[in-house]
Amino acid sequence: MPDKFITLNNVSKSYTRGGETLKVLDQLHLSIARGDFVALMGPSGSGKTTILNLVGGLDSCDSGSVHVADSEVSAMSRSELPAWRSRHVGFVFQSFNLLPVLTALENVMLPLQLTPLSAAERKKQAAFALDIVGLTDRASHRPNQLSGGQEQRVAIARAIATDPAVIIADEPTGDLDRSSADEVLQILSRLNSELGKTILMVTHDLVAAKKAKRVLELDKGLLVEDQQQEA
Amino acid sequence: MRFPFRLAMRHLMARKARNGLTVLAISIAVFLLCFLIAVVQGMEEGIRSASSHRLVTQSAVSLFVDLPTSYQQKIDTIDGVHLTTKFRWFGAYYQERKNFFAQFAVDHQRFLDMYTKDIEIIEAVGGTTGPAARAAVQKAFASDRRAAIIGVGLRDGERFGFQLGDTVPLIPSIYPRADGNAWEFVIVGIYRPLKARIPDTTMYIRADYLNEAFDSGEALGSRGAGVYYVNTEESVPIDQVAKDIDALFANGPQRTQTITEAAFASFFVSAIGNLPLFLGTIGGAVLFSIFFSVVNTMMISGRQRLQESGILQALGFRPFVSTMLLIWEGLIISLLGGGIGILLALATEGSLIRIFAQNIRNYQISVPLMLLALGISALLGIVAGLAAGIPFLRSSPTEALRSSG
Repeated sequence: MPDKFITLNNVSKSYTRGGETLKVLDQLHLSIARGDFVALMGPSGSGKTTILNLVGGLDSCDSGSVHVADSEVSAMSRSELPAWRSRHVGFVFQSFNLLPVLTALENVMLPLQLTPLSAAERKKQAAFALDIVGLTDRASHRPNQLSGGQEQRVAIARAIATDPAVIIADEPTGDLDRSSADEVLQILSRLNSELGKTILMVTHDLVAAKKAKRVLELDKGLLVEDQQQEA
Repeated sequence: MRFPFRLAMRHLMARKARNGLTVLAISIAVFLLCFLIAVVQGMEEGIRSASSHRLVTQSAVSLFVDLPTSYQQKIDTIDGVHLTTKFRWFGAYYQERKNFFAQFAVDHQRFLDMYTKDIEIIEAVGGTTGPAARAAVQKAFASDRRAAIIGVGLRDGERFGFQLGDTVPLIPSIYPRADGNAWEFVIVGIYRPLKARIPDTTMYIRADYLNEAFDSGEALGSRGAGVYYVNTEESVPIDQVAKDIDALFANGPQRTQTITEAAFASFFVSAIGNLPLFLGTIGGAVLFSIFFSVVNTMMISGRQRLQESGILQALGFRPFVSTMLLIWEGLIISLLGGGIGILLALATEGSLIRIFAQNIRNYQISVPLMLLALGISALLGIVAGLAAGIPFLRSSPTEALRSSG
């Protein structure tokens, strides 16, 4: 592995639901290189989304450590994590998670409010991000005026607006038809190949997984397969 | 960190009906609050403005039992008494019962001397104005037993519009005339109140005119005085004068009860229960019910936006940002409602002053009252927003994201 950009060392994570403890990750070791495009696959409950949440600083592990670039995410306090997330990670969710009361442009501008950019600069950068996903002409549309594919492209634009190094995508094509899913996957591939974004994508879709450079198969919290793919 | 206030504004605009109704509810509550506080303050101001050197002597049996006219001369002899006048409720109306205003029969030769600090004579019959008006009215009041002095509100008000020199017929409801006709009074002077407790819609007529009419059979009623107003010397303790008056009549024929003018004024307030407390309780109850309604509205909004909080946290905003947004929204809703309520109170102030002219002289939506109402509105919004936004502070980003919007 040339460059350990993201590392999970001996990570364990359990959840307690209804008095029952469920071990989701069991002493997992994982390294991801800078600029990699990794697809995480596996059955439900195998720990895929938990890995995304740990890498993205949305959740904390019970034991072990999570490093992203030079930061030990697992050692950060709850108050430190939001600022770190805003600088280093962009999220793309299965159900898009755009704010319905804002236009596409305003949704993309939202994370830029955490930067020192002026209002004009934020608008310019958000417009640029929308241009990257090919939705300049939909900037003033609300999410309910967009198709599912367009909504997910706006969500991608929002994820890259602050120019984070890592993009975390949780089943980004799960709610899309094949054509829209292909568009989204194409954009993610471009972000990886042209802009060098490190992408961590959970998917059940084999077509989507084929776009990744590396596919990791998880089962019951354990890494059962690690496969590099040809570009 | 910049707060995404635009998001708050968009949320407010996205739920126009719900937020509009909440604003309406707050505006009504704040209007009621302003109204009730102004009523209570107006009543209290009336009591506060009472003279500290004036007593009121009434029958110990009841306020509605007249005192003998012979008492006045005896009261005048008591050490510490400066001046006395009869005050008798006349209770007639102009043309129709709804055109009621207060009339008191007083001693024409004493009344103005007694009320030098209470009312200002602004115009006398014949057109005399300024400092000379008082003397001119004094003279005119003495020269015609039908003479009457009216408050400026009876001249300027749309309902009456009485002018100097006008003969005003008043239909009796207590003291009918033997011939069945109305009493007639000639307006000889116009006063402006200098004290909050004195309405500007009162008519003062001559007590001797009434008593003579009763004596001669011209009208049905008996000679007497409702109460005696007693101005005391500043050098003598007012309590002592009151005790001396009551002691003088302890053995009849009519026992008296002498109290300060402030106590007399507060008697009318307490006659219908502890009105300030009653009104305060109503105001408090209205405010509390609206408060819970606003909190409920904001909490519904908060529950619907837990997922949004998760999204914002994923984007890098801290959990308190979502809470702040709800507080901001609560503030806007409550201040808007409060502002409308205050405007409503201001818009109705003039009409309510006219309606309350007889009873609450000093009904006023004052600047401190407006600031109080605005402050309560703001507090309402902050507490409601905070109550709705606290769950955001407790939930983790993953929990928030999992919640349905």
